[in-house]
Amino acid sequence: MKRLIVRRLLQTVLLLFFVSIVCFILVKAAPGDPVRSFVTPNMHAADIERIRHNLGLDKPAYIQYFIWLKECLTGNFGYSLVNHQPVLGQILDRLPATAGLMASAIALAVILAIPMGMVAGANRSRWVDKLVNMIAYIGISLPLFWLAILLVYFFSIQMHWLPSMGMRTIGKSSALDVIKHGILPCSVLAIGFLTVYVRYIRSSTISQLKEDYVQIQYAFGSTKRNILFRHVMKHVMLPVITLLGMSMGDLVAGAIVTETVFSWPGIGSLGMTAVRGMDYPVIMGITLFSSVLLILGNLLADILYGIVDPRIKTTR
Amino acid sequence: MRKYFSGVIILALLTMLVSACGGTTDNSASSSDGSQTSSEQPKDGGSLIIGVAADPVILNPNYAGDRVSLTIDQALYAPLFQVNNGKKTFYLADSLEPSADNLTYTLKLKSGLTWHDGEKLTADDVVFTIDKILDEKQNSMLRGNFIIGGKPIKAVKVDDTTVEFKLPQVSPAFEATLVQVTPIPKHIFENEADIEKSPKNNTPVGSGPFKFKEYKTGEYVTLERFDNYFGGKPHLDSITYRISKDANASNLALQNGEINVKYVDPQDVATIEANGNFEMKNYSEGRLSYLIFNQKSDTGLMAKKEVREALSYALNREELIQVAYTSADYADPAKSFETPDGLYHDNNVTTYDNDVTKAKELLQSSGAAGMKLRFMVSGGNKAQEAISLYVQQKLKEVGVNVEIQSMDASAYSNKFTDPNAADYEMTVGGYIMGFDPDAYSILYASGSDSNYSHYSNKEVDELFAQGAGEADDAKRGEIYKKLQEKIASDAVIYPIAYTKTIVAVDKKFGGLDEAVLKPVVIFEDPSKLYQK
Repeated sequence: MKRLIVRRLLQTVLLLFFVSIVCFILVKAAPGDPVRSFVTPNMHAADIERIRHNLGLDKPAYIQYFIWLKECLTGNFGYSLVNHQPVLGQILDRLPATAGLMASAIALAVILAIPMGMVAGANRSRWVDKLVNMIAYIGISLPLFWLAILLVYFFSIQMHWLPSMGMRTIGKSSALDVIKHGILPCSVLAIGFLTVYVRYIRSSTISQLKEDYVQIQYAFGSTKRNILFRHVMKHVMLPVITLLGMSMGDLVAGAIVTETVFSWPGIGSLGMTAVRGMDYPVIMGITLFSSVLLILGNLLADILYGIVDPRIKTTR
Repeated sequence: MRKYFSGVIILALLTMLVSACGGTTDNSASSSDGSQTSSEQPKDGGSLIIGVAADPVILNPNYAGDRVSLTIDQALYAPLFQVNNGKKTFYLADSLEPSADNLTYTLKLKSGLTWHDGEKLTADDVVFTIDKILDEKQNSMLRGNFIIGGKPIKAVKVDDTTVEFKLPQVSPAFEATLVQVTPIPKHIFENEADIEKSPKNNTPVGSGPFKFKEYKTGEYVTLERFDNYFGGKPHLDSITYRISKDANASNLALQNGEINVKYVDPQDVATIEANGNFEMKNYSEGRLSYLIFNQKSDTGLMAKKEVREALSYALNREELIQVAYTSADYADPAKSFETPDGLYHDNNVTTYDNDVTKAKELLQSSGAAGMKLRFMVSGGNKAQEAISLYVQQKLKEVGVNVEIQSMDASAYSNKFTDPNAADYEMTVGGYIMGFDPDAYSILYASGSDSNYSHYSNKEVDELFAQGAGEADDAKRGEIYKKLQEKIASDAVIYPIAYTKTIVAVDKKFGGLDEAVLKPVVIFEDPSKLYQK
């Protein structure tokens, strides 16, 4: 197990290096020019060149990359080309908002998805199954931004129960206030995750119910509920762990659309602004940050796999 | 290993996908409509929430170029003076007088001015600000305006409240340059090597009616009343700029009372008006929206005056306004390249009004009949797309085939500003250039980097040069009248409209006329706003 972790961590470093190169190439290949975001028609070509030079954007792309890499290794991830603030600080500023929102949405989705998926799987083709399936399909085909607007219209404009935007009332800082603001975005995101999780759990439940150990339990006279929640559930958790591992990237990358619609001050909306301004240090910072979490999330998932299913430990 | 890679690739694809939706920024500021006095007695107290579409880029007037930073800076930092319809309103300044030879301008500051932290605001701050704009290491986008004929304007302190500006040559447009300057505090920034990167920009110290309180990234910026404001204690306790990036969501927040003031698109006016809580204010933006004929186009046809005339004859301005701005309420028909708020503006110039027969004749005689034309638009820009479809349909009637080339916003702006782009004939543009017509020389003078239609005419170049250096007002007016006629009759562009901004203001708030609605920044002097 220890060897696995060490090997994986070494791979991670290599992988991040690779990610940073790919990301840099993609950003550089996209049309647009960061200097454009502060050019006015009143500026002469010489002024524009001078600013380009001051920002180091007149150097060849590979040298820009190495300058960025050096900044990275010194720990501040460089400065934004647009507002000239350190990238790491900007990401850390936004991290709590995104991580809090994502973690609660994922948790909510998992808590709902496990019973829903399992009950549907255990009652295959019955009305419960059909209902859950229908909900899952509606959920997956709904555009989330539209759902978000719909919820805001109903809960904020019509009923006046919840605020329509932002993370807190201006000037207020209480946990309750933040939670109140978080209910709508969290629900929208949870619906997005839920629809995916439910279908995994349902199909996994169906295949588990065909296993020998289930038949044996039946033979010993266990009730269906007992079998389902004592024994099958443990196996069904496996795909959930994989899904959670894959969701770790989202945890920091945020949800661009949902964050934008709700004006949630997270990393997703930071990334959106950065991409619009071709602000490559910020784009790279966010990509790397979420790649690290994605990779670590997967590593964690593999370790958990070993704990939940001891067979895996020996085969890897 | 495979699943890690797929995750990574998804991330990479996401980056690419998002890079595809770029954006452009607004530039420059200028002046607006007149004011009236209201009968109501202003009350003190209350707070106002203004909805803005993005985080401010930088709360330092030497660098602010985006709409949001400019809007917040207007309340945070007081300008020296402002100009509305040719009338000067003095803020930090008391007077601005040119010398007899027009080479020196003397600026007198009000006495007893202070920064928000209590330090005195003096001539030193003004000189410091100009020096930093001129400093090549400081990247201020205002620098170009302070260079006349290759030489910088010099600012010299005479005493604590007097600054002299020494011009290298006569330049009546100097006032239009100075109007964009807002002093920054010397005592805060004097030891900063790179002001743009300074963390001190995160807690700005200004001189305007409202002082900085807090900024929560991605959420809001709150300013609170500055009691020692030289223009009198502001009525409101605070102003908050609430960041809401999604237009639909922020319209809902407006209707829900979470936002009090916000820009509104013409198509949303009816919905918001129906709510009954808002006053809709439309006022001129000082902006011209127009069609560009790219004279560098490789077909060579756009360089011919007859072809440009013919294409102009084929179009109908009223229809175009209807198509792009839904109603004539939101856009005034434009004929001159100069906006109505500018000095010497004249809309009585030659126009080529809709005449299909003439258009066909001209196309025939210039050998352009049946020509194909590439029309470049920025994808996702509704007004541009609507205009391009209208032009396509209208030009078909005169036998011209229009191929619409829709491209992503950053690709569009790259091509638009590329001085050598030859692979399109027409596109849509818009500009806000301020009140002095000299500013337009960069758009129409030969060889200028911002001459987007690549027009070149010696007579026009000469007139612009004369206008820039002519101190006599009457003579200067004649020059710019001539210029407007020349460019109009040459059909260099097809002016569509002087567009208006629509702002929804919660009826709870008053003092809008005294605060003066202004393009880009919304309120010129927010100290006059009050809650009813």
